[in-house]
Amino acid sequence: MRTPASTKIVPVTKRLSELRGKWAGWVLITLVIAYVALLIMAPLAALTINAFEKGAGAVFSSLGQPLALQAFWNTIWIALIVVLTHSIFGTIVAWVLVRHRFPGRDLIDGLVDMPFAVSAVVAGYMLLLLFGRNGLLAPLVEATGIRVAFAFPGMILATLFVTLPFMIRELIPVLEAFDIRQEKAAATLGASGWQTFWRVTFPALRWGMIYGVTLTFARALGEFGAVLVIGGAAQGRMMTTTLFIYHALEERQYIGAYSAALALGLLSLILVIGSDWLRRRGHQ
Amino acid sequence: MNTLLAGNPETKTTGTPLPWGRWGLRSVAISYLLVMLVIPLLVILQDGMREGLAELWRQVTLPIAWHALKLTLWTSAVMVVINTIMGTLTAFVLVRYEFPGKTVLNAIIDLPLAIPTLVTGVMLVVLFGPQEAVGAWLKDQFDFSIIFAPSGIIMALLFITFPFVVRSVQPVLLELDRTQENAAATLGAGGWTIFWRIILPPLALPILTGALLSFARAIGEFGSIVIVAGNIPLVSQTAAVYVFGEVESENRLGASAVSIVMVGIAFILMMAANYLRKWSRSGSEKEVE
Amino acid sequence: MLTNLHKKLILPFLVIALLAASCSSGASSQGGEVKLVLAAYTTPREAYRELIPIFQEQWKEKTGQTVVFEESYQASGAQSRAVLEGFEADIVALSLEADVIRLENAGLITHDWRSKPFGGMVSTSVVAFAVRQGNPKNIQDWAELAQPDLQILTPNPKTSGGAMWNILGLYGAAQRGYVEGYSADDAGAQEFLLAVLRNVTVMDKSARDSIVNYEKGIGDVAITYENEVLVGQQAGQTYELVLPTSTMQIDNPIAIVDTYVDKHGTREVADAFLDFLFSAEAQQVFAKYGLRSPDPAVAQATADQYPLIEDLFTIAHFSGWGEATPRYFGENGIFFQILGQVQGIQITE
Repeated sequence: MRTPASTKIVPVTKRLSELRGKWAGWVLITLVIAYVALLIMAPLAALTINAFEKGAGAVFSSLGQPLALQAFWNTIWIALIVVLTHSIFGTIVAWVLVRHRFPGRDLIDGLVDMPFAVSAVVAGYMLLLLFGRNGLLAPLVEATGIRVAFAFPGMILATLFVTLPFMIRELIPVLEAFDIRQEKAAATLGASGWQTFWRVTFPALRWGMIYGVTLTFARALGEFGAVLVIGGAAQGRMMTTTLFIYHALEERQYIGAYSAALALGLLSLILVIGSDWLRRRGHQ
Repeated sequence: MNTLLAGNPETKTTGTPLPWGRWGLRSVAISYLLVMLVIPLLVILQDGMREGLAELWRQVTLPIAWHALKLTLWTSAVMVVINTIMGTLTAFVLVRYEFPGKTVLNAIIDLPLAIPTLVTGVMLVVLFGPQEAVGAWLKDQFDFSIIFAPSGIIMALLFITFPFVVRSVQPVLLELDRTQENAAATLGAGGWTIFWRIILPPLALPILTGALLSFARAIGEFGSIVIVAGNIPLVSQTAAVYVFGEVESENRLGASAVSIVMVGIAFILMMAANYLRKWSRSGSEKEVE
Repeated sequence: MLTNLHKKLILPFLVIALLAASCSSGASSQGGEVKLVLAAYTTPREAYRELIPIFQEQWKEKTGQTVVFEESYQASGAQSRAVLEGFEADIVALSLEADVIRLENAGLITHDWRSKPFGGMVSTSVVAFAVRQGNPKNIQDWAELAQPDLQILTPNPKTSGGAMWNILGLYGAAQRGYVEGYSADDAGAQEFLLAVLRNVTVMDKSARDSIVNYEKGIGDVAITYENEVLVGQQAGQTYELVLPTSTMQIDNPIAIVDTYVDKHGTREVADAFLDFLFSAEAQQVFAKYGLRSPDPAVAQATADQYPLIEDLFTIAHFSGWGEATPRYFGENGIFFQILGQVQGIQITE
């Protein structure tokens, strides 16, 4: 409550603290911008400058080399398979975790997050233990003739492991927030389980799925440690873009390495920022 | 809200979306997780225990392995402290202030998620390597190489985990009710007091969650560190790089042993993060009601 | 018309089909084309880059068949491990015998690969140093590596064959009395190793990684293969090569992996490739890319490129890899003990 005496004081102190606040604000903003500039923008700028050292022509021609194109193709192929698989099974898992109750549910809920914290090297190593020559599942490999270690399927499995949490984590809150009465209404009107899911629930999951797909895709594009351990270093069929970058560095083909790195980063960035922007637009 | 419905099994599902029945769905989910998650984790456990618990412990406490684990933990911890402070500040600045370039800054936050970790390492070497711009200057002025040392590890980790604290705090900060702050300001409280006593407390949980996520992400990091750290055993070799070396050189048991420790830490961290997430969600729901 | 049931089954089939399509069966030989998988260590990539097309042409002329090569280059230890774990390489060209013996012991190599020319060694090199242009730190021989404030690069013996050659070269030279200031025995050698390890700043995964880091301006000296330095110079690098008076001869073995050539049906081509690599023509190409030839005739012809080393010793000095690997690089190996001493940590129990 204002007393006559403080009516004069409050505006003064308020103005002072406002000024101090503004000044403090600008200090903070500068601090944050400097931090981001040094930590994130500077390295990126250095990479870009070095990539274009010999001009844009060199960048594009190195990206157009057969080995690079093959590596991109492999990376995208793996990412697509991974996204598709997680879209289907991730939705199922999210559904079961939200809608069902059973013993151990909370434990499984926590386990799903684990690949986020497990080192990529460990992930690759686990697959090696399973599918290597003396691995647990080696007999299975022999029987089916499908090579996993040091072959494409191994790289897919490795990428599947490290990207497991993203889709599920994006879908669970969306599913939880979804008003189940809509489904009941649809059922009352005679819709089958599948129809209800496809036409009532799924559209509401859209944003969760989009963001889940984006994060999964971006992570899959950038996977390195696990594919290094399980995929070896063979060129051609088994080289992802990250492995290509690594080997280009070893071959002193810096322009090639930096160009591929920029291309990969740009692709992921477009996806991440794009979905962010879409989401914000969707909410208006 | 749904918490009410969630407790009542009658209203749980209307019908299953796929024609396989409730247990069909459940078994698909469970087998998927079993194959993708549980079996790989178990196989490491089995391999590590191959020669008994004592041998496993011995492998973990070998000087080089032990040092690698310690290095991983302390560099991640230092990174978390820095990241928490800067991340919270960044979120604060993004939410509370208007300034030129704000939209750009907001977009940049997500950049580290898009950059493959290997590329992060390469970028840091390109910038801070002894022959390059900043690196050469540092070397001439202070005879100090920022990379190829634990400081390089911390820098790489800071880059990679940057979004986590920011994006964890931002939405909560956005939703914060400002009446308390305004009241405090009216009563004469300074900016800092307001920040410390009114703004920060409700942010504690998201900050903690972000910090946990950063830490969890950091302990397993490989791609950037293997490029930027120097990787000298007993100096700059992290646990992930150590495991890589052991996998590639016949010491399977050592690799499995250290992997088990790393997976164990990962498990604890993610369980904690999960718990925090649930806690904060139920907390916010109570507020709404 | 697709019924509801069909629609429900499409997605799972799609996933399975995609997964199946991505699994390809192993290499195989068909009428006009055959695929050969070469698993090599990091250093000779440039040499193989030239050699492979030559062989492809020759083979095509001779048999009309096209040979497609799938090459893999990584640290010798890592490569050997990969093949052990299921990387189906037809031919392995590795840095040291021990990495081939590992495959022999696992039953992947069943023939006597040493009966090939030159004891199965397709190229040789020596342990040498790369120094900056003008040799500012005046590194003339091993002894200078122990000077304080020197920054040295050498890879990690856990993964890199090159690293093992480096350490043994260092140790052997000291043991044989070629390092001034250190006694010509185990104690002196270990003292010297300690001094050098104090100066190591980065330990990379492979020899190639190490020299590439050196090129980025890191370190004053890189202990490496002579061949790495020469190839780097060919690529435009300005560092200089320093050959010590006493050093280790690096013998690089090559062998066919019986299990996989039989599985792929590529034995004939693989054999032919190996014969080609041992031929004078190929040996001269190796010599072009910094590798010394085990072929005495070619060695003679390229003598001016490759100065004679005063005291050249081989793995025989250490009684073979069977003795050396555990003694120096095993769990309580001398290398790791000394590494611990650098940090003041006791490695052994």
